[in-house]
Amino acid sequence: MTTLEIPGIILSQIHAYGERAYPEEGAGLLLGKVNEGNKRVVSILSLPNAREDIARHNRYLFSPQEYLLGESEAERLGLELIGVFHSHPDHPNRPSEFDRQWAWPSFSYLITSVQTRRAVESRAWRLAEDRSQFEEEQILVRD
Amino acid sequence: MPTIKIPSPLRYYTNSLAEVQVRGETVTEAMDDFIAQYPALRQHLFNGKGELRPFVNLYLDKEDIRHLHGLDTPLKEGDRLMIVPSIAGGTGEVDHSALRTNQAFIIGLNLVAFILDATWLAALVAFLMAVGTALKIPAFGFIYRRGLKPLGWIKPDLRKDNPEPHRFAQGFGAVVLVGGVLALSAGATALGWALVWLVIALAALNLFAGFCAGCAVYYWLNRLDVPGFVKAPPEGTFPGMRPK
Repeated sequence: MTTLEIPGIILSQIHAYGERAYPEEGAGLLLGKVNEGNKRVVSILSLPNAREDIARHNRYLFSPQEYLLGESEAERLGLELIGVFHSHPDHPNRPSEFDRQWAWPSFSYLITSVQTRRAVESRAWRLAEDRSQFEEEQILVRD
Repeated sequence: MPTIKIPSPLRYYTNSLAEVQVRGETVTEAMDDFIAQYPALRQHLFNGKGELRPFVNLYLDKEDIRHLHGLDTPLKEGDRLMIVPSIAGGTGEVDHSALRTNQAFIIGLNLVAFILDATWLAALVAFLMAVGTALKIPAFGFIYRRGLKPLGWIKPDLRKDNPEPHRFAQGFGAVVLVGGVLALSAGATALGWALVWLVIALAALNLFAGFCAGCAVYYWLNRLDVPGFVKAPPEGTFPGMRPK
């Protein structure tokens, strides 16, 4: 099992962001370092949810332009884009079928379940090489 | 030789290279050469039919190749083709408890309006349904979200579904109800209450039998390729029926 190391303060920011976005989904990019498949989050970048309002309630989308913003911000900080965080309002923190279909390989997908405006728990996932499923990553919270 | 610029999630496959030189005079040829160098990337960039996956965007300079000549876009020496991800996800589910609460209130308040001969009440329901449609939420969903669910009286009922047809159905109901209120105001009592009862009946059909007539109309318009009606019914679900 690969690991995703994340400072406690950043995890709290992600939880607060998911709570603010409720009942919509809140999402952003994870910036950090990769070492032999294990990742370390150093910074996050929350981006406006670009999907037309019509589907915001149960979908999020970053446009190519927003993605490129994230890429250049990572480059500026000497980091890499290592994954995506998003909230599942009133849903479990397991990836959905849609998450799987749209997943990028090697990225970590950190999903936070937000139940009635309260972030409950986050879990991290990574797409299997054959795209058939997600494999869970171990979250290591650091001070 | 053209260069392909690699986004972060794919650098795992390219030995951390951010740029790779390829041979080819079109985007297709360049991508074929790229895949030949890194075969593990094929399944992530192309679907089984050899088409680019919907979340894979290719930009030539600052232009999306879909706005040029697609995969046939010609490449010159020194061109930079950039692979840019669209990042998307989410649950793709709809809480049917919120929808059912909405239907129950639409039925109940319209019945009260009929019994008390209160056109204003039907007008209020029509107004709230129109506002809900504009805000893209069920008009009476707040009662569920703020009251019934936190109190634990109604449990969430999450189903793989599209929210759009339900919004369309509510908007359709609002229009019929506005028609009914206008008829009542103009003194056409029978027509007016008939339209109110139509809204009650369709909401009841949805609440008790799980068939959303407005959603069925939405999906039918989708089959006719009417612009704006982009969603198809969830797999294995009869158009308009509540998904399993």
